[in-house]
Amino acid sequence: MNATAHEERARTRGAIRIDDVVKVYDPDGAAVMAVDHCSLDIEAGEICMIVGPSGCGKTTLLNAIAGFHEITSGSITLDGEVLCSNAKPKADPGSDRIVVFQNGALFPWKTNLENVAFGPTMQGKMSSAEIVEKALGMMADAGLSGVEHNFPGEISSGMRRRVEIVRALMNDPKVLLLDEPYRALDSLTKSVMHEALLEIYYRNKVTIFFITHDLEEAIFLGHKVAIMTTRPCKPKKILNVDIPHPRDYSVLTSKRFRELMEETNEAVHEEALKAFQAGEKEG
Amino acid sequence: MEPVQKSVMPDAMLDLFKRTMPFQVVSDGMLRKIASKSWQVSYDKDDLLYDAGDKADDIYIIVSGKVVHALQPGVNARRPEKILGPGDVFGWAALLEQYPARLAKATCIEPTEIIRINGEELLRLLESDPDAGDVVMSRFATMITRDYTVPDLVAQLRTIHRQMHAADSQGMNLTLYRMSLWLKSPRPYLMLIGFALFLGFWYLSVEVWKLPRFREMPGITVVLKEWISKDPTYGLSLYTGEYYQHIGMSVWRVTQAFFLATLLGVPFGLFLGWSKKFKEYLFPVFETLRPIPILAWVPLAIVMFVATESAVIYLTFLASFFATALNTMLGVESIDESYIRAASCLGASKSQVFLHVIVPGALPFIFTGLQISVGVSWFSLVAAEMVSGQYGLGYVINTSYTMVRYPTIVIGMITLGAVGYATSAMVRVAGDYLMQWRVRELALGGQ
Repeated sequence: MNATAHEERARTRGAIRIDDVVKVYDPDGAAVMAVDHCSLDIEAGEICMIVGPSGCGKTTLLNAIAGFHEITSGSITLDGEVLCSNAKPKADPGSDRIVVFQNGALFPWKTNLENVAFGPTMQGKMSSAEIVEKALGMMADAGLSGVEHNFPGEISSGMRRRVEIVRALMNDPKVLLLDEPYRALDSLTKSVMHEALLEIYYRNKVTIFFITHDLEEAIFLGHKVAIMTTRPCKPKKILNVDIPHPRDYSVLTSKRFRELMEETNEAVHEEALKAFQAGEKEG
Repeated sequence: MEPVQKSVMPDAMLDLFKRTMPFQVVSDGMLRKIASKSWQVSYDKDDLLYDAGDKADDIYIIVSGKVVHALQPGVNARRPEKILGPGDVFGWAALLEQYPARLAKATCIEPTEIIRINGEELLRLLESDPDAGDVVMSRFATMITRDYTVPDLVAQLRTIHRQMHAADSQGMNLTLYRMSLWLKSPRPYLMLIGFALFLGFWYLSVEVWKLPRFREMPGITVVLKEWISKDPTYGLSLYTGEYYQHIGMSVWRVTQAFFLATLLGVPFGLFLGWSKKFKEYLFPVFETLRPIPILAWVPLAIVMFVATESAVIYLTFLASFFATALNTMLGVESIDESYIRAASCLGASKSQVFLHVIVPGALPFIFTGLQISVGVSWFSLVAAEMVSGQYGLGYVINTSYTMVRYPTIVIGMITLGAVGYATSAMVRVAGDYLMQWRVRELALGGQ
């Protein structure tokens, strides 16, 4: 079946190497260091969870990969190709790395189908009939049939996130960059979204770079969990989650999951405390 | 042997629901509703519940006993056969889009108690609370993937449709629909009372009580008589062609000025918001000119345009232009940065971002601007017509004053109010038509 061929290819594309990246905001003035000599290897087809307290600089890293911000020094490569480095501090945004935003960025003035079709339509690489066919197919696969001609404002927040992920996957990206996408959701919808994300991931095997401050979410979803220090941001501890995929919600109550939670909780808590104290000082 | 049907015990049923995969996270209120539509049936060992190809109507939940569930080969299950026990849910083919028929054979291998729910009824209940409905359907999807190992079927699971209060239609119908809602609410009657109070006060203060400052005012009966007279004392009423000539002239001037202001103001505002350079050059000039009252422009307008007509239109245009451009600019600036980033991520070029994100994103503000623009265009039109011009409602009011035709002044004022309201309503309807996404969002309560 082509699923195996798909997996084979997935394993060879989407490897990100973050090498000694430094990001200083306003270098001539206040010189706030957001990312401090950060190095991280993410394998192709891996779900890598970035955990850290709010405002620690995780999003700065994501913005550098996506090409929204410059880096001060270091380099980021995708499958050996340099995205940004000292010579070219800002990566070009591209449809091989698609961001799913914190508050969702579906265009409210386009129907769900138009949103999903947006990428290929803009790139003009396929005919519009092909685009619509592919979009309808992918939406049906993600359990979104019936809402194609609704506007995003008319469906539940959980479904909106699903539409957004499908919109990203339409472009056959190497990497999905998720910036706390489930932050605004209630815990019930969140649990459903986790399962839905995994379902979509098992079908599409892309590399996932997922930012969160929720350790439980990180261990439940990730192959690898990178716990970041508070500002400036760099990996404090990298945890390989040895719970086999496919996973479902029963994982949350398993012994191994609890062990991993305990193992890492302290590190996360320590950083959260530091972030809190730093915030107090600044305030 | 015939299955035995038992009476329903809702509380026990609720506990059972909470042990099942699809329903375990649903609120008690919703579960009670589902329970009220469910019934319990007893089966014997070796009873056939259904066979592949049977009509799929109900969903089954096992209370006690055991059932063998064998999916037919055509559905490509990784593990087609499965023994189900208490708390397991099957018969979910009733929730699939394209399979009104059973996909499996289900047989009891012990005496078994089962709760049955009609699939259609369940969907209807779930649609009454779409948020809970989404969760239930999504958990059905997980169950079908994980427990029944047929992930391909998930795509056919029905989706919960949100009720649109019958407004699932075009913008025009929506306007009509809102009109009927409005008529059903107390608001129109309160509005009528408001008008009645105002007109009553007018009548009493001028014609009955003859209050000091009101004595010279034209009374309501005088105005009405004049307005509907076939032979008006002061020459202007519903029956004189001149009346419509004045209205036509004013409407025509406002139309020209409004379209010109829109045509220039919207693109100008879009560029102000879109390009930092452009804004740095022009916005300070714009902000200096904007607060200057239209009346202050009159002398220059007369000097600039030899023909009075163009001077009047220019003055009317000016105020509209500022309102439209400013609101359009604010509209562009109100667009969330992540929309622009998302678009560039998805491969949109700069001009595509402008066309697909900036313009539609600014549209709500643009239409707010256009409504203000229509309002101020009437305002400045009357000012311009009073100062210079022939014909038009402002001209009527001004000349009636100099010629002491007081009732005609009031006729002109009321007409202005009515025509101004109508044009503003037209802009609103056009906005609704162009922004159905927004209208539909608001119809859902602005979630």
